[in-house]
Amino acid sequence: MRFNVVLWFLLLALATSTYAAEPKRLTHDGRMKFNPSFINENEIGFVDFEKPTLTIIKRLNLKDGRVTPLHENVDKQELEPAFWGDGRHSVFHRASGTLQTSLVIRDEKENENIELPPGSGFSGYRCPTFSPDGTLIVFSFADEGQQNLFTVNRKDGKDRKQLTKLTRINNWPDYSPDGKRIVFGSTRDGNFELYSMKSDGTDVVRLTENRFQDVRPKFSPDGRHIAFVSTRDGNHEVYVMKSDGSELQRVTRHEERDDYPQWHPDGKHLVMVCERKGSHDLYLLPITDLDN
Amino acid sequence: MLDIGSFEARTCSGRSRRSFLQLGASLPLAMGLGQMGEAVASEAARAKSVLFVFLWGAPSHLDTFDPKPNAPAEYRGPFCSIPTRTPGVHFTELLPKLAQRSDRYTLIRSHTQTAPGHPDGGTVALTGFEENPKPVQPNFGSIVAKHRGQTGSLPTFVSIARGVVMDGGRRIEGYGGGTLGSAYDPFLVGASESGQVEIPALKLLDGLVPGRVNDRRELMKQLDRAERTLDQSGMVDWQRSYQAAYDLLMNPKARDAFDLTQEEPRTRQRYGQTVFGQSSLLARRLVEVGVPYIQLNYSRHVEAITPGFEFGWDTHIYNFDLLQDLHCPVLDRAFSALLDDMEERGLLDDTLVVCMGEFGRTPKINNRAARDHWPRCYFSMWSGAGITPGRVIGESDRLGEDPLTDRITPKMVGTTIAELAGINAQARAEMNILDGGNVIEGLI
Repeated sequence: MRFNVVLWFLLLALATSTYAAEPKRLTHDGRMKFNPSFINENEIGFVDFEKPTLTIIKRLNLKDGRVTPLHENVDKQELEPAFWGDGRHSVFHRASGTLQTSLVIRDEKENENIELPPGSGFSGYRCPTFSPDGTLIVFSFADEGQQNLFTVNRKDGKDRKQLTKLTRINNWPDYSPDGKRIVFGSTRDGNFELYSMKSDGTDVVRLTENRFQDVRPKFSPDGRHIAFVSTRDGNHEVYVMKSDGSELQRVTRHEERDDYPQWHPDGKHLVMVCERKGSHDLYLLPITDLDN
Repeated sequence: MLDIGSFEARTCSGRSRRSFLQLGASLPLAMGLGQMGEAVASEAARAKSVLFVFLWGAPSHLDTFDPKPNAPAEYRGPFCSIPTRTPGVHFTELLPKLAQRSDRYTLIRSHTQTAPGHPDGGTVALTGFEENPKPVQPNFGSIVAKHRGQTGSLPTFVSIARGVVMDGGRRIEGYGGGTLGSAYDPFLVGASESGQVEIPALKLLDGLVPGRVNDRRELMKQLDRAERTLDQSGMVDWQRSYQAAYDLLMNPKARDAFDLTQEEPRTRQRYGQTVFGQSSLLARRLVEVGVPYIQLNYSRHVEAITPGFEFGWDTHIYNFDLLQDLHCPVLDRAFSALLDDMEERGLLDDTLVVCMGEFGRTPKINNRAARDHWPRCYFSMWSGAGITPGRVIGESDRLGEDPLTDRITPKMVGTTIAELAGINAQARAEMNILDGGNVIEGLI
């Protein structure tokens, strides 16, 4: 009996550890959402369903809670946005045909787009984002049975360079704040694991190792930590580890899905998509005591 | 809220409502066949209702219910396998809830068919026969609908989708009545992620308000005006349809079957706030009121993040992303909730649930690090109607390319559905359908 009581309290403590508190809900419509990304300290861009056949990028104002389309009169699916320069520049991919997406590098102030077409046939880009200095776009692109990481110049979309080669599927690239390294997911060792490499594609280091999925890594603003999603504990949960893969901490604990973590620029919060009672909304979770 | 066309049969806000129905040449005509009905459900039918969950676009069998963890990397994909409640049977990690419910259904892993494209593959999957040579054979649902006949105000064959499931601009020819005639086409009903139900065929006739809907003469005037726009050939079916539409709208019990707001919030949440989730809940309600055949479609239109394209499970690009980000979590939650809910309500005792796509996907990963069409091997799930659950029938080879055991064809699927729905060999012969079909051995 005494053992059972101790065990019960132990389980309770585990279930209510540092990050067990429910995050703060930011949106309230409950529709499926994807890929939140900070436009600036006060605005988050994310992908939402305008209707079941049309995803568009929307903008959430954190001060007043208003949600508005980022672009007017969108009639082609917009996916996976990232922002740079206090929201002056965006990059995303956009439907350009049946099972095709183009890469769009956009100056939001001047309304100017550089659009890189996909390959022939079914083809598309994945997960574009900016280098910290805004000079490069890194993205994932599938071809010849692989899905590799590439960079192009932000200004003209040219000078395409391949960073990974012959390594199956590579996805979700994210630069460290100093621009020296890129963290990404890859199936090169079988399932999706996380790796980091120098920004020229050399010095690949494996960061995670387990038989379930480790995906969507994001460097913290100070570069010391990486947030990511894993299914290692039975469903999609958010974890944080040091940038060398050590000191893993689980930061969400819920029977439903927690996904798409993105660091707040203050480095003290994560915004993410949480499934609660079957609905999907953006939530903000405080992240503290990472070094304790 | 129930929204029939633009007719809100129920509102919390009390705002004024405009209504009613507009009927076009492409109307579903299987509803309201009061004077056509020839039989009620056979007492021998183990399945009073059939719920056919159609995974349109064709899910990868290797990445879902038939993983090949020992296959070479260029085949097996990145997902690990997890144990199910059935000893020795594994699914991929993308389906944890359905893995925990493998004792609720029997899995078949040795399906095969011959049509490699979507419209023709869809026709084979839904009728048991290829589109050519013509004529196109009837959808399994049309067969059940004709056999059962009309027993009330509700349609006998409902397809849950926002329109006929299509490939680009081309619909599946086998979506409807085929040789049985357009009278046995499905009645189309859609549900939104918030649970709003819409009937695409019923659209507004300007100026008709609910009070006047109750005035049959006024309704007929409105419909007569719409009628003039139709060509002569569709007239008979059209008249039958508007009669049925009127019956549906005017019958509170029939109307309530489509009203998801009557469900407890907890029940609605259980299915998930997705189009497929709420559509699954609608399907359960239709089973509950005795609709003989429901085809629950994934998709047209479930949430689609496939670019430029609304095509369910057709993952020629981004296969692994789409499965883990969208399709599998949605299916895992909604279909698990559906099975649980039906079990708890005792509906599985006399309802047959079948879940499958039109084919599988290439075991070998394609040039775009995804998977293409593969009609040679795929899976299905069968639950209810006395089928012993918790089993696996059939086996695919080590790469998932072909069945190792007896091949299960779409015609066998249709024959088994018909048999469980009380349409025996003699009745099938009399209806001139599913010629040469056999029941899936070992399933029933």
